[in-house]
Amino acid sequence: MRDYWLSKLFFDVQHNAADYRADRAKFLARYPVKPELAAALLADDVGVLARHVNPYLLRFYFAASGMKDDEFIRRLKASAPAESAPAEAAPGGGHG
Amino acid sequence: MAELVAVAASSHAPLIVRDWPKLPERHKQRLTAAFRSLGARMAAARPDVIVVVSPDHWINFFIDNLPSICIGVGEAHEGPPEPFLKDFPWRPVPGHAALANHIYATALAQEFEPSVSHRMTLDHGFCIPLWRMELNKLPRIVPFVVNTLEPPMPRVSRCLAWGKLLRAAIASYPGNERVAVLATGGLSHSIGEPTMGAIDERFDRDCIAAFRAGAEGPLVAFLEAGMQGAGNGSHECRNWIVAHGAAGSRGFDLVDYVAVPEVYVGCGFATWNVGGRQVRAA
Repeated sequence: MRDYWLSKLFFDVQHNAADYRADRAKFLARYPVKPELAAALLADDVGVLARHVNPYLLRFYFAASGMKDDEFIRRLKASAPAESAPAEAAPGGGHG
Repeated sequence: MAELVAVAASSHAPLIVRDWPKLPERHKQRLTAAFRSLGARMAAARPDVIVVVSPDHWINFFIDNLPSICIGVGEAHEGPPEPFLKDFPWRPVPGHAALANHIYATALAQEFEPSVSHRMTLDHGFCIPLWRMELNKLPRIVPFVVNTLEPPMPRVSRCLAWGKLLRAAIASYPGNERVAVLATGGLSHSIGEPTMGAIDERFDRDCIAAFRAGAEGPLVAFLEAGMQGAGNGSHECRNWIVAHGAAGSRGFDLVDYVAVPEVYVGCGFATWNVGGRQVRAA
């Protein structure tokens, strides 16, 4: 299930990454994001946010907001339900 | 009438450019050779226009307006906005409005209903293969966007039909242009999912074998089932099957396949026989 305003925020951050990094709270105030998702944003909670947006947007958002690939992937894997966790992923860092 | 002179496919992993200095030398050499081989084949075909089949990576479209298929019908298009592509040499990207509109009109006549854009921004999906093929001069480009990022996506069988329609539209275009089709994306990769970084080499090898065999039914069935487990990026194989349809569903020739963990992608490069002849580098 996509959350529209969270998705819109992620879409817009791609093109305004510097503004977002400079004052995240001010940027967030422009969007009627649900309180629990706003909290997840401020906590960089990849697992919670992943359930509400397209995976590519999630990836672009965290890249634009400054999280390193290795850390993003670590958090993604930690958020996976045990039954769907990947057996093994390739090493390295980046995106595709 | 216009002539279809080349059909090709290429992966477009952003890190091929962004993280190029960090890649192992053996992967740099394979990727460089593959892009150059595609570029040499494309140059030998001397296209005036390239129809580039690629997804839009959340640049032009969003979930408030998300076309399944969009044809760029403008006289020009914007170059890539990604910072790591700031040195992309062709800005604006020249379009071919007349051919694009002919494709659109041909589609409507055959009861296909694409969206259109009169000024599209072409992201890494379009621009990395065009750039890395090292063409001396960029032909005009007709952007052909297939939604491979966000459900609902077009069915694989529909993408094959779109490829056949492209072939018919090019053949019926009342001009002397030499036209190529370049599909980009794939093969297996996973972006923003818990499996991010995983490359499914078995899927990729089976995918290549299915394209090489050429038979439409088994290929469509394989992709419809196989893409579900090969990472969300594998859905870009829809672009490859557009190319397959454009080529008449035969003549697939693998240039190279190399799984590159550092860019997260099973990287594939291929051309198709067109009109009974394989375009080779001079």
